Amino acid sequence: MEVIDARAALAPAISLLCAALVFASGERTFWRRLFSLSAALAKLVIVMSMLPGALRGVVYVFDLVQFTEGVGLAFRADALGMFFSLVSSTLWLFTTVYAIGYMEREPNRMRFFGFFALCVSTTVGVAFAENLLTMFLFYETLTICTYPLVIHDETPEAMKAGRKYLAYTLTGGAFVLLGSIATFQLAGTMTLSHPGILTMDAGRGTLIALFICLIAGFGVKAAIMPLHGWLPSAMVAPTPVSALLHAVAVVKVGAFGVLRVVYNVFGVRLLDELGVCDWLAALAAFTIIAASIVAVFQDNLKRRLAFSTISQLSYIVLGASLLTPLAATAAIVHIANQAFAKITMFFVAGSIQRVTGKTTVHELAGIGYRMPYTMGAFTIAALSFIGVPLFAGFVTKWYLSLGALESGAWWYALVMLGSALLNAAYWLPVVYAAFFKTPPSTHVEMQEAHWTMLGPTLVCAAYVILLGATVSVPGMPFALARAAVTFVFGM
Amino acid sequence: MIAALWHNIDYAACVVLFCIGLYTVITKHNLIKKFMGLNIMETAVFAFIVATGVVEGGNAPIMGPGVEPPFINPLPQALILTGIVVAVSTTALALGLVIRIWHQCGTIEADELREAE
Amino acid sequence: MTTWPPLLVAVVVVPILGAVLTPVVGQWRARRAADWALGTMLLTSVVALLLVARVADGGPFSYVAGGWEVPYGIELRFDEFSAVTAIICLLGVLAIVFSRRYAEHALPEVRIPYYYALLLLNLAGMLGFSITGDLFNLFVFMEILSLSGYALVAVSGEKIAEMAAFKYLVMGAVSSIAVLFAIGMLYALTGSLNMADVASRLGGAPVAPVAVAFGMMALGFMVKAAIFPLHIWLPDAHAIAPSPVSAILSGLVVKVGIVGMLRLYQIAYTSRALDLEALNTVLMWLGALSIVMGAFFAVFQDDVKMMLAYSTISNIGYIVMGLGLASSAGVIGASVHVFNHAIIKATLFLGAGALIFRTGKRTLTDLAGVGHAMPWTVAAISVGAISIVGIPPTAGFLCKWYIALGAVEAGHPFFAFALVFGALFIFIYYIRMVNAFYFRPPRDPAILEVREAPASMLVPILVLATLCLVMGVLGRIPLSFIEPAVTRLLAPIGGG
Repeated sequence: MEVIDARAALAPAISLLCAALVFASGERTFWRRLFSLSAALAKLVIVMSMLPGALRGVVYVFDLVQFTEGVGLAFRADALGMFFSLVSSTLWLFTTVYAIGYMEREPNRMRFFGFFALCVSTTVGVAFAENLLTMFLFYETLTICTYPLVIHDETPEAMKAGRKYLAYTLTGGAFVLLGSIATFQLAGTMTLSHPGILTMDAGRGTLIALFICLIAGFGVKAAIMPLHGWLPSAMVAPTPVSALLHAVAVVKVGAFGVLRVVYNVFGVRLLDELGVCDWLAALAAFTIIAASIVAVFQDNLKRRLAFSTISQLSYIVLGASLLTPLAATAAIVHIANQAFAKITMFFVAGSIQRVTGKTTVHELAGIGYRMPYTMGAFTIAALSFIGVPLFAGFVTKWYLSLGALESGAWWYALVMLGSALLNAAYWLPVVYAAFFKTPPSTHVEMQEAHWTMLGPTLVCAAYVILLGATVSVPGMPFALARAAVTFVFGM
Repeated sequence: MIAALWHNIDYAACVVLFCIGLYTVITKHNLIKKFMGLNIMETAVFAFIVATGVVEGGNAPIMGPGVEPPFINPLPQALILTGIVVAVSTTALALGLVIRIWHQCGTIEADELREAE
Repeated sequence: MTTWPPLLVAVVVVPILGAVLTPVVGQWRARRAADWALGTMLLTSVVALLLVARVADGGPFSYVAGGWEVPYGIELRFDEFSAVTAIICLLGVLAIVFSRRYAEHALPEVRIPYYYALLLLNLAGMLGFSITGDLFNLFVFMEILSLSGYALVAVSGEKIAEMAAFKYLVMGAVSSIAVLFAIGMLYALTGSLNMADVASRLGGAPVAPVAVAFGMMALGFMVKAAIFPLHIWLPDAHAIAPSPVSAILSGLVVKVGIVGMLRLYQIAYTSRALDLEALNTVLMWLGALSIVMGAFFAVFQDDVKMMLAYSTISNIGYIVMGLGLASSAGVIGASVHVFNHAIIKATLFLGAGALIFRTGKRTLTDLAGVGHAMPWTVAAISVGAISIVGIPPTAGFLCKWYIALGAVEAGHPFFAFALVFGALFIFIYYIRMVNAFYFRPPRDPAILEVREAPASMLVPILVLATLCLVMGVLGRIPLSFIEPAVTRLLAPIGGG
């Protein structure tokens, strides 16, 4: 059931308004904080208010402008979009609180918070995009808005990372644009409201070329190997930015784009016929394993996190490309599972850096005595990535393995197992070092980060458990993922 | 072919003149000479347009006693009057510029000017 | 809605009269020249808006000067493409407002009244060019705007300005002669100069002379539009001219070539005297080349205005490619980009002018860090940069989308590819520019002490930057406005 409701457009608009207010408030800290926090809260409230309806199967739609027949900006909060926007707006609130603490003494805070708000605005825009054009619009704007955040430090290294980031993502954007144009030409529409708009009539070769074009476009941000090069370099950004980039906004927008292409542009049935998804699945499986192996050898904590992100994102891509309902469920819920666990880790890494100045894994010996709550949160996130039951990551792995068996490609279940082992291999040593190695000096005082940083860290860690433990509870986001899968597979 | 050319000898002459002008504009370094080439091109086109109005055995299109049709088409001539005005203004502007360049750079050879830059 | 037909005459006569009287007013008091010019342009704008409103309401209309009948009298014809008058007036008004402080700073005082006179004459020429329905009249207006354009480039009286103006003059004069030659041939073939009349009579004409005529005319307009490789006059002229003049030259004067091309297409498609396949192919390829080569040269520029000048070549490439595609979406995109690029490029050139006015510096290296000192100006430039690269939701995006869609529609996906990736190439140097203004440490800390541009400069820049965004969001209005004209244009060849 579709209902015309301005809330679908209001959700992206509110962060846009927030950005404008932040820019207008200049260097006045109080007003900037007030605007940032109240906009984050307001947005969460708006998205939450749509949740009961969305769970009942209501789809909120809103047409903003139309350029010509079938070409326009429109919003549509379907189950998949609701799921993604719920994740991003929840995390925006936490990240804003954290960033206020983290950025305390940094220069150019107005610019930082302004573009920060713009990023979230565009992320929700992507989530609620009714058609490929709207999606491309927000996808591209996101690239531009994250650039000032990536180069926030203005060091030569940061500028170089920024250039690399732009080179990758804008090229990806160009592919998305080409793909959108071709889709419009072939299907006569760009809507994302159907389970697939293309048909076999377009010709096999054309469809495969189009699929490659669109997946390459979104795959850049989803960091599918070999398109992942920008992600580790972009780690020079301040930690809240990395957290936002790597857990909520940029990478998730890429993964979300892949989901949209697979489920709403091509549709499961057509892709099954085309057979291209086998290749995509193989590529995703390769990325999962290869990125994990690279991660094992990283000493810099943020770089290890970066490669872990690359690996985790491909879970979503793999889940999408297996084309079975269970795997699709895994792909969708992993948007949330990875987001909360990864953002916890980033918050921890940032707190450690702010409190102790340490950035590498080998310096972390005994840090658990100094920052027990922070490292406790880290442990929860690590267990989630390894896939211990009752933690969020387990849900993904379980459903993905089931999906792999369902599709007959049982070897992907082995990939899950291998990935779990590799995750253990690079996260457990950190936990071990923090709690079981003796600290370099005998006198250790407990010294946690400021509450604005510790609070969000703990809440996100709590969410990881919540998401893992309440899968079967009705009314939870998991139900939204189910609803999305039902729609996509026409069940 | 030759007959056709002979029949349109006026047009052919205009084309030749046009090419001479273009050649001068492209190859000469002296700014004045360049502009003379441009004037030759202009003249070629003017002559061409006037020639289109010619009627075999026609009279000048001036009304009066004893003047009989056929008349030569007067419209192209009127147009070319305007064209000449435009050409004169262009020439005046160009010469003005050349004088200024001469005063400021001491040369009007394009290659020397480029070196001076 | 009825509009008194002589309004069509007024839209040309008012600025010409104003131009003639400007030096007189300026003799009395130099400062009054600016007010006089502004008043003239505002009056013209009112007239132009009435005309555009009428064409939006009831389609094309015409007026024959002097009471003669078509095809003998000179016909002024206002169709949807003529709506470019609105943008000419807008940029004219803003450039004159901007010039108030800029001219005092950049020009010798005696020249200021003449500067405004030339500016008005240039605008009048463009207004006339876009509304005339007569081929010879087209030539005359083209010469008015070209001659005043050459003089405007040289107006500062600097050595390099005069050399750039001479180069521009030679290329411009050759192209004008080519166009005149083509007009002469068309007259010889049809015995008429009225465009509609020529189109209806050209049908049975022998193919070879028609081809030569169209070829010469296209060549002439391509030089005016500065399509690669006929662009060599443009970078110097546009970069060295005073900034408001650069905005007019880059935003509007090169578009004269495009409007001329549209007129050529109107004649050619209606008459069906010739299959334009060859010309279209040439235009597509040269368009693609212009996009890439313009971007390629721009990457190596350190001078801000030089960079903007090369970017114009790229953007003209978009437009020409769209025209060459001869598909509905392509031509619509190209036509709308004529408007949008004018707004965007004027934003950028006026912004650059404000930077030069305040800092006295014009290279990226010297201007590093200026964004902290002149936040509004640089923000407007950034909006322009984003828009010209075609990042949604700005004005540049819709045109890019339409032209690329046109390429796919016409069965040339390669050109969609060239367009989209050419735009990436363009992005490289705009990001360099924005980086330098905002994120690079200043070379000379004194730049941080510079004040924001004066209101008479800032207001036009901000108005234009806002339009860059508004035209993107409300893109439907220009698109649906131009659509009937394109449909009519392509109808004879089975497009649209």
